[in-house]
Amino acid sequence: MTETTPRPRWSARPAAAAPLSMPPAEREALPGLVAGASPTVVFEHVSRWYGDIVAVSDVSFGVAAGVTGLLGPNGAGKSTILKLMAGLISPSTGTIAIHGQKTRGNPAVYKRLGLVPEQEIVYPFLTGREFVRLNAVLQEVVDPAAATARAIGLVEMEEAAERAVGGYSKGMRQRIKVAAALVHDPDVLLLDEPLNGTDPVQRAGLIALLRRLGAEGRTVIVSSHVLTEVERFADNILVIVNGKLAAAGDILAIRDKMDEHPREVMIRADDPRRFAAALIGDRSTSAVRVDGDGRLLAQTHDIRAFSRAVPLLARREGVRLLEVQAVDESLASVFAYLVGR
Amino acid sequence: MTLATPLVWRALPVFALTVRQFLAGRMARVTLALALLPTLFALIYLVRPGDVTPRGFLTTTFQQLFLPTLLPIAVLLLATSAFGNELEDRTLPYLTLKPRARPRIVLEKWLAVLVVALPLLLGGLALTTLVASRGPVDTASRVAPETALGPLLGAMAGATVAGTVLLASVFLLVSLVVPRALLAGMVYVFAWETLLGRFLPGVKSVSIRHAAESVFVALLGDPDVTVEGASTLRGALLAVAIVSLVALALAAWRLRTMDLE
Repeated sequence: MTETTPRPRWSARPAAAAPLSMPPAEREALPGLVAGASPTVVFEHVSRWYGDIVAVSDVSFGVAAGVTGLLGPNGAGKSTILKLMAGLISPSTGTIAIHGQKTRGNPAVYKRLGLVPEQEIVYPFLTGREFVRLNAVLQEVVDPAAATARAIGLVEMEEAAERAVGGYSKGMRQRIKVAAALVHDPDVLLLDEPLNGTDPVQRAGLIALLRRLGAEGRTVIVSSHVLTEVERFADNILVIVNGKLAAAGDILAIRDKMDEHPREVMIRADDPRRFAAALIGDRSTSAVRVDGDGRLLAQTHDIRAFSRAVPLLARREGVRLLEVQAVDESLASVFAYLVGR
Repeated sequence: MTLATPLVWRALPVFALTVRQFLAGRMARVTLALALLPTLFALIYLVRPGDVTPRGFLTTTFQQLFLPTLLPIAVLLLATSAFGNELEDRTLPYLTLKPRARPRIVLEKWLAVLVVALPLLLGGLALTTLVASRGPVDTASRVAPETALGPLLGAMAGATVAGTVLLASVFLLVSLVVPRALLAGMVYVFAWETLLGRFLPGVKSVSIRHAAESVFVALLGDPDVTVEGASTLRGALLAVAIVSLVALALAAWRLRTMDLE
């Protein structure tokens, strides 16, 4: 972690290496790292609070090249962690480094970093191409036009590139934001819920792109609150619950731990009582109840088997499914369960 | 400011973006309406001029309406929205997470405010002067009203430029420091620049209006048009330059240190 970069032109101080307190050997054993992997991103005892509210509490982890999922329920602190990582906000305590250098206020790091923020609003009066090109110019890319065309091609937005961003669908805005983050060819990419609002085809395209970027040796960190989504692109995950690191490492091992805890799924159907009877007869279902609004609340210890069984049972019983949704509190309780282990 | 103007786009991208932002939103239109308000009053004046000369009408309108109220509100709207829109829409990280100097971002935003505000404000003043010049001729004057009003228009333009520079700098800073910058700016304009400045001489002498009025009086050089405690032209311009530089430097510092949620 002694890598040096040129002194930033506009900073009054040189781009000092972040004062990481851990020795390199200890740093390489940080949660989230496969043994022997050299971390690109390091969080050392990072906390961030807002008055009395603790958003991130004493979090330490390392992230190496490849795709890492930042998983946790809504409000767990994922976005705060990504903002800390990008240097948009400062930690209350602790140290954050990318390539051994502090991120905040460090243009040398910004040149190697791409961020896809969660918020949807992108300058609505610019066309997609103008927006991506603006990012290329601000990143001081040598040939902004060529870089813009390449980035737009990566997210397959060529046809809509000349249209104003204000007229884009949510999924198109997500893709153009990804193009803007990739326009300067960064080796660290942070994405905050990038699959939100995308349709299945867009989602598949973005997931394939994320996997490709990871395979190219970039460090890609993607936040999500949907485990099944993260499974499709990440090899490693960091699980954040209530601002704390609940689990880190190989996604399959963590998923197995999660599966040991019951999950609750809400189902709306045109004949809830008939479907409840069918569900209770299936081995993947532990318990079923129908609430006052006619919604089914089913509990399962095997979410995958349950997900497969639901449509098959609906077809067999001739029941029409109106909505199937994992109860978020249930997901939060799974994460909380991990913290307790 | 489209891709057809790649030079501006490449050299001053934040400036180009901000001008587009102003033109796409309603702030430029509101500024234009404010700039044309004196012209409306000039038209009303032409209908019933009484014994007021065009020069008297213009001087009063400029000193009592334009400088203390219209100019600050017009610049306030543009300057607070330059960063305010980015903060509200959370788009500022697209500018700050780049290897670009914070003072440069602030200067480009400031330049965009001036480039949109000044043509509208100066155009409005020129039109007002043209309309008012059709008023009753001052019999004591031997020159045509259009000619006699030339130096007056020049003095008004000079004071407007000085006031706009100062107001844009201060309100850019305010928009980065105060959460409800537009509201805070409105309170400042009406309480400090307009109301208190009118009744309390001490307050007036430390107002932005006073600096602009000093420039106006000094450029006009008319002994009949005075301002209590007016600074010299050099003193007023120096004050404008120093306060503007300090405000812009503080804005750049604030942009560097603030958290972007």
